[in-house]
Amino acid sequence: MRTIDDFTRPLEYISPMCDLLGSIFREWTEKEVIPYRRRFDEDYLEHHLIHPPFKKLLGEYGIQRMLFPEDLGGWGLGTSNYLYVAAYCMFEEIARADSGMAMAFGVVFWPLLFISLEPHVNRRLLEEFAPMFCGTNEVTFAALCMTEPQGGSDIENVEIVKGTTIQTTAVQDGDEWVINGHKLWPTNTGGLARLMAVVCTTNPGSDDPRDIAVIYVKDDMPGVTQGPPYDKAGMAADMNGDVWYENVRVPLWYRAIGPGDDAKYFGEIMSTGNMGIIAWISGTMMNIYERVSEYVNRKKYRGKPLKENDAVAGLLADFATHIEAIRIIGYQCARMCDRHDLYGPLWDPGLVAKMRAQRYFTVDRFIDITGRVMNLMEAYGADRDWDVEKHWRDVKMLQMVEGSKQLCQIEVARWFYEAETY
Amino acid sequence: MNDLELFPYPKHRLQATDLDLAASLKGLVEKQIMDKRLELKEDYEQLLKPSLGKLMVEIGLQRMFWPEKLGGEEHNEPGAAYTVVAALEQVGRADIGLAFQAAHSLALQAALALEANYMEQQCAAISPLFCEGTQPLIVSFILPAFAEEEGVPEWRGKGLQVKARRSGDTWELNGAKVRPTCSGADADLFGVWCAVEGENEPAFILVPGDVPGLTRGEEFLKTGLAASRNADLGFASVKVPASACAWRGDEGLYRLLSWYYLGLAAAASGALLATYEIIKEWGDNRVIKGRGQIFKENPLTGALMGEIAKDIAVVRLLAYNLAEILAEPGAYGDAGSLAVFTSALIIVHQAYVAAENTIHHTMELMASAGYAKEWQLERYWRDVKTVQCYLGAYELAKHDFARWFYGTKTL
Ligand SMILES: Cc1cc2nc3c(=O)[nH]c(=O)nc-3n(C[C@H](O)[C@H](O)[C@H](O)COP(=O)(O)OP(=O)(O)OC[C@H]3O[C@@H](n4cnc5c(N)ncnc54)[C@H](O)[C@@H]3O)c2cc1C
Repeated sequence: MRTIDDFTRPLEYISPMCDLLGSIFREWTEKEVIPYRRRFDEDYLEHHLIHPPFKKLLGEYGIQRMLFPEDLGGWGLGTSNYLYVAAYCMFEEIARADSGMAMAFGVVFWPLLFISLEPHVNRRLLEEFAPMFCGTNEVTFAALCMTEPQGGSDIENVEIVKGTTIQTTAVQDGDEWVINGHKLWPTNTGGLARLMAVVCTTNPGSDDPRDIAVIYVKDDMPGVTQGPPYDKAGMAADMNGDVWYENVRVPLWYRAIGPGDDAKYFGEIMSTGNMGIIAWISGTMMNIYERVSEYVNRKKYRGKPLKENDAVAGLLADFATHIEAIRIIGYQCARMCDRHDLYGPLWDPGLVAKMRAQRYFTVDRFIDITGRVMNLMEAYGADRDWDVEKHWRDVKMLQMVEGSKQLCQIEVARWFYEAETY
Repeated sequence: MNDLELFPYPKHRLQATDLDLAASLKGLVEKQIMDKRLELKEDYEQLLKPSLGKLMVEIGLQRMFWPEKLGGEEHNEPGAAYTVVAALEQVGRADIGLAFQAAHSLALQAALALEANYMEQQCAAISPLFCEGTQPLIVSFILPAFAEEEGVPEWRGKGLQVKARRSGDTWELNGAKVRPTCSGADADLFGVWCAVEGENEPAFILVPGDVPGLTRGEEFLKTGLAASRNADLGFASVKVPASACAWRGDEGLYRLLSWYYLGLAAAASGALLATYEIIKEWGDNRVIKGRGQIFKENPLTGALMGEIAKDIAVVRLLAYNLAEILAEPGAYGDAGSLAVFTSALIIVHQAYVAAENTIHHTMELMASAGYAKEWQLERYWRDVKTVQCYLGAYELAKHDFARWFYGTKTL
């Protein structure tokens, strides 16, 4: 019988490490996540069921150490040239079980990229935060706090909006920053985040990129308040909430890279984030493939397995074709993130635009084709026990995070057609 | 002008009583449901069940078709199709699940009590359940589904979930793991399209929810339609009198389904009108691009808002068009004809494909707000998708379309 492992992967550049990680993650999802996931939606407030598998994976297996240098207790992947392909394998496996969980997992590393990647490794901050991630078996959640009440997309729209809409302020006072502001929606908040990278302005309304600052804040610093988790359509395993900063004082050296560079390297966040989204989509599709395969073998139409009806077969073929194509796109994106020597730096607007293009293309395809196979399952398509509906609900959000679809379109048009898009 | 009036519909075809009903339903659902749902979310006991009572009993949707002499409103001429759309559009605007339930009730009433096909015996037997109680009577259907076992009798390729055997004055019904269209946990009356032992022609049999031998499984979790608490059923030698068989043969079922699809198309239209109200508020107030550009004034997002409005307008017209088809049997044929059934099937599928797409786009425009329960949009998205799943596989419905339009015989 065919399985998800029969879908194509670009074997040319998949390392043995990917396979090893893949099998560890597969076993973890089978044992720790899949048996419980149907009750995750109702667990969105407390994470009673969702927390233990995270603790095992990130804390006990120690995956949260991945980006830190080896001499600080990490695995040194931050400066490797196979990080993103490896991440793709991990993301896919987690998303096969739960894409909200995959997102929460990915975001643990996301804010750390500012200080872990060449050429802007910030050794002092890595040393500062290493004990939180490498010196414990407990899970340490991190968050990247960009979105604000007036809008998330335009904060990410650094090239055009240039940080002019950012309202969270960082004011220098002696050797400290004083941070004030209100963020919405960061993944791994709602009370979970121990460490946050906060996108601030040092000069409200300024369009000088040097005034965009990424500053780390710990949750136990006075003045930090995380609100309760939001109730949302899906992605219960990703906790989101409001975060308020009221005269939060952090050392000056908690700024990620420095004036001009925080804004410049923001593109890395966008490239890698969009790559991650594609992995979460292809991982999710693997599981939909499994569940739908079971359905069309079990259910009968005109006395034969449903899959033997040619019209149904046509739709099933479309679904498998989408997986084939999306997976190749996704791995290619991961490879492009790894190989700066071939594809240019991660922060390059061209690379960001390409990643955005691939991401919105794949999410749109997912939404269309998954909606169709869900409907093929009739009443069982909407039934939690068949899992497809959960994936359908969860993945819709991947169209809207990191700047919604229109921001993707605008950035793609800006780069490929040299449109001003001001 | 009321914002919802911006979307054209054949107002001149509606009676004054239809317009009054729509207006009072609009007020009722706003007060009873829309104003409370931020606090009560999709709570069945506190929000949805009492609301169903108000709609079905107080407003009287469950009495609509039954003859006056039996306690009904006797609004049972074909033109009632317009009333169904006007009413369920308003209900769907507040909660598709409630409109979904009402659509079941109204379709059954139409199938039994429409003046041209009035079924005296059945109406006398079951209308008291609808007209005399102080509680809403929840109606559910059991329709063919993909079978799991070999040798299950089929109707149009799908398995009939319940088998019936006639012995003397009773029907005996058997079936395991039966999935109803709605409210398996709560329904008071099931309309079951049964295979009849030893015969080719199925029977539509009415089964009260409290009959011995009928068992209900646990309510299962699903994408949306919180108002319909669904559960699988078991029929173990369930016995009902011979008179519980409402009809044999396809015509009755086509009539039932044509009216059912009318109610569902109206619910989709209502959901889309609600979507419009939500995105309008967003588009009027959200500012993007950091230079104070009002959302609806941005060429890209404004265009998508335009597309959303177009799709809403089309779905509304389609729902009313189906009402016109059902209201004019002289021109289009009887609701029980294959021609009308096919039109109804086309319209309802198109309405839900468009509704799903439209709400997808609306969510896109609202980004995280579209995904947050607080903004109320996502519930329409889940509800619309759930109805679409319960409608049946679109891929196979296309064969129904082909059968009618091309004379296809073997699909
Ligand atoms: C599950 C989940 C996880 C999230 N995780 C994080 C996180 O980790 N960190 C974080 O900071 N945020 C996070 N978010 C927030 C998310 O990134 C934002 O929702 C997203 O960036 C869009 O911002 P917004 O919701 O404020 O909508 P807006 O930015 O206001 O966008 C609304 C609409 O306007 C359009 N639009 C906006 N600007 C433009 C423009 N310039 N040109 C054309 N169209 C435009 C958008 O495309 C969209 O259609 C998360 C949200 C969710 C639901």
